[in-house]
Amino acid sequence: MTSARPLVIEARRLEKVYGVGRAPIVALQDISFVVQEGSFVCLVGPSGCGKSTLLQILAGLVPSTSGEILIEGAVMRKPAPDKISVMFQDATLLPWKRVIENIEFPLEIRGRKAAERRERAAAMLSLVGLAEFGERYPHELSGGMRQRVSIARALAPDPRILLMDEPFGALDEQTRIKMGHELLRIWSQTGKTIFFITHSLTEALFLSDVVLVMSHRPGRIVGVIDSGLPRPRTYDIIGSAEFGAARNRIWQLISLDDDEVAGEGMVSL
Amino acid sequence: MTLRRAVVIIVILGCWEAARRFNLVGPLLLASPSEIVLALIGSWSDYLGALRFTVSEIALAVVIAWMFGIGTGVLAGMIPFFGATAGPLLSSLFAIPLITWYPLFMVWFGIGIKSKIAYAVVSGFFPIAINTMIGVRGLDPRYMLFGRAIGCSRPQMVLRILIPMAMPTIVSGLRIGTALIVIGVIVAEMLASLGGLGYLISYYRSIYETAHVYLGILLALGCALVANWCLSRIERRVTRWRELQIAER
Repeated sequence: MTSARPLVIEARRLEKVYGVGRAPIVALQDISFVVQEGSFVCLVGPSGCGKSTLLQILAGLVPSTSGEILIEGAVMRKPAPDKISVMFQDATLLPWKRVIENIEFPLEIRGRKAAERRERAAAMLSLVGLAEFGERYPHELSGGMRQRVSIARALAPDPRILLMDEPFGALDEQTRIKMGHELLRIWSQTGKTIFFITHSLTEALFLSDVVLVMSHRPGRIVGVIDSGLPRPRTYDIIGSAEFGAARNRIWQLISLDDDEVAGEGMVSL
Repeated sequence: MTLRRAVVIIVILGCWEAARRFNLVGPLLLASPSEIVLALIGSWSDYLGALRFTVSEIALAVVIAWMFGIGTGVLAGMIPFFGATAGPLLSSLFAIPLITWYPLFMVWFGIGIKSKIAYAVVSGFFPIAINTMIGVRGLDPRYMLFGRAIGCSRPQMVLRILIPMAMPTIVSGLRIGTALIVIGVIVAEMLASLGGLGYLISYYRSIYETAHVYLGILLALGCALVANWCLSRIERRVTRWRELQIAER
């Protein structure tokens, strides 16, 4: 994405250190990046590199040790549920509530009126293609459907930003591909800014405008890939030469970093 | 099935009645069903009053024990430090036979309704608090993250997410706790009191009115059964999703 759109997320020199005293563990080191409004950014990296920690810091759920985050230009210190919705790998639906009540829940917590939130929830439910499943309970749905409900619930408060922590990680491959298409459709219909964590390089490239590549120990951003792949995306693009080339670049960044532990020379921000 | 059950009950009642009619068992040891019924007809208003007294003690104790039990359990489950100190303390206090404390309760709260309620509350408190603590500790921490991410306040977090989520575990504590409360109230009444079912049982025993003693026992049993039935209803309601979830797998 070359056009200069306003920045919705700015991470400035974020650092997260666990434990104090003799053996502190640096989980995240010198993380800086920006996310433009309405863009789809993926963060890839090996498991245990601190991706989830970074997302929780972005959501205001966990404090960073140093550095700061600007959301729409303002420094963020605590969760901002009106601007940011978070989605987890498990759908974290409330099992005793019906699907429609689950989607209403964030609005209920904010004290919105029953009629208003029911209407909003129904609209979000049809957006994710589950209009006729509102009266079901979460356990009656498949894993993919549960994640759709989770997306609908995240969209219900009409946030600007969606932070998604490996939301399709627990799904089988075919469902995962379908959900990717669904998410792209929802993204283009709603114009939200999406920050999406995955460990699948293919998924990251397929979905995003920009891929942030992370390494582990300590977690750092070792590359930013602006794939420039055309939209709308179809499954065929995965077989294209550009896709393969971009995928290789990401893989090189991740594997190179494994060889050279110091690795500082490669940061191409 | 119901027919067979009815036959069994009639046969048992018949033997019971016969045992007294033919004086196989002495009148001090056993009262026949007909004598028990006559005892009820003779002094039903006494029993109605006693039942009302006992039931209101139970109800008050239930409200207080549930509130304190769930409250303490939630705190112990949520706050690691509090849980680490309170957890073992709760379990070991639960192991003490509570009845040994009853004389002290009398000194602290008097012979009236207060000492009964205090004793029953303490009887029911521990299993409720312990189960709530276990339930809250066992929750998936991602739900807390979710709650915070959507902007839940502390009370909302506890009342709208934590407690409902831990309800299947909490409710089994409520079941045990409530049964202990019913027992606690009646036992306390029997030891020293001014009214209630336990008082009547104890009083009639001291004047050798065996039929009345049996009637009191049956009514106490009735209290326990009603409490248990209510709890089963609640349990089924709050754990239905849990069972369905498990059945799904």
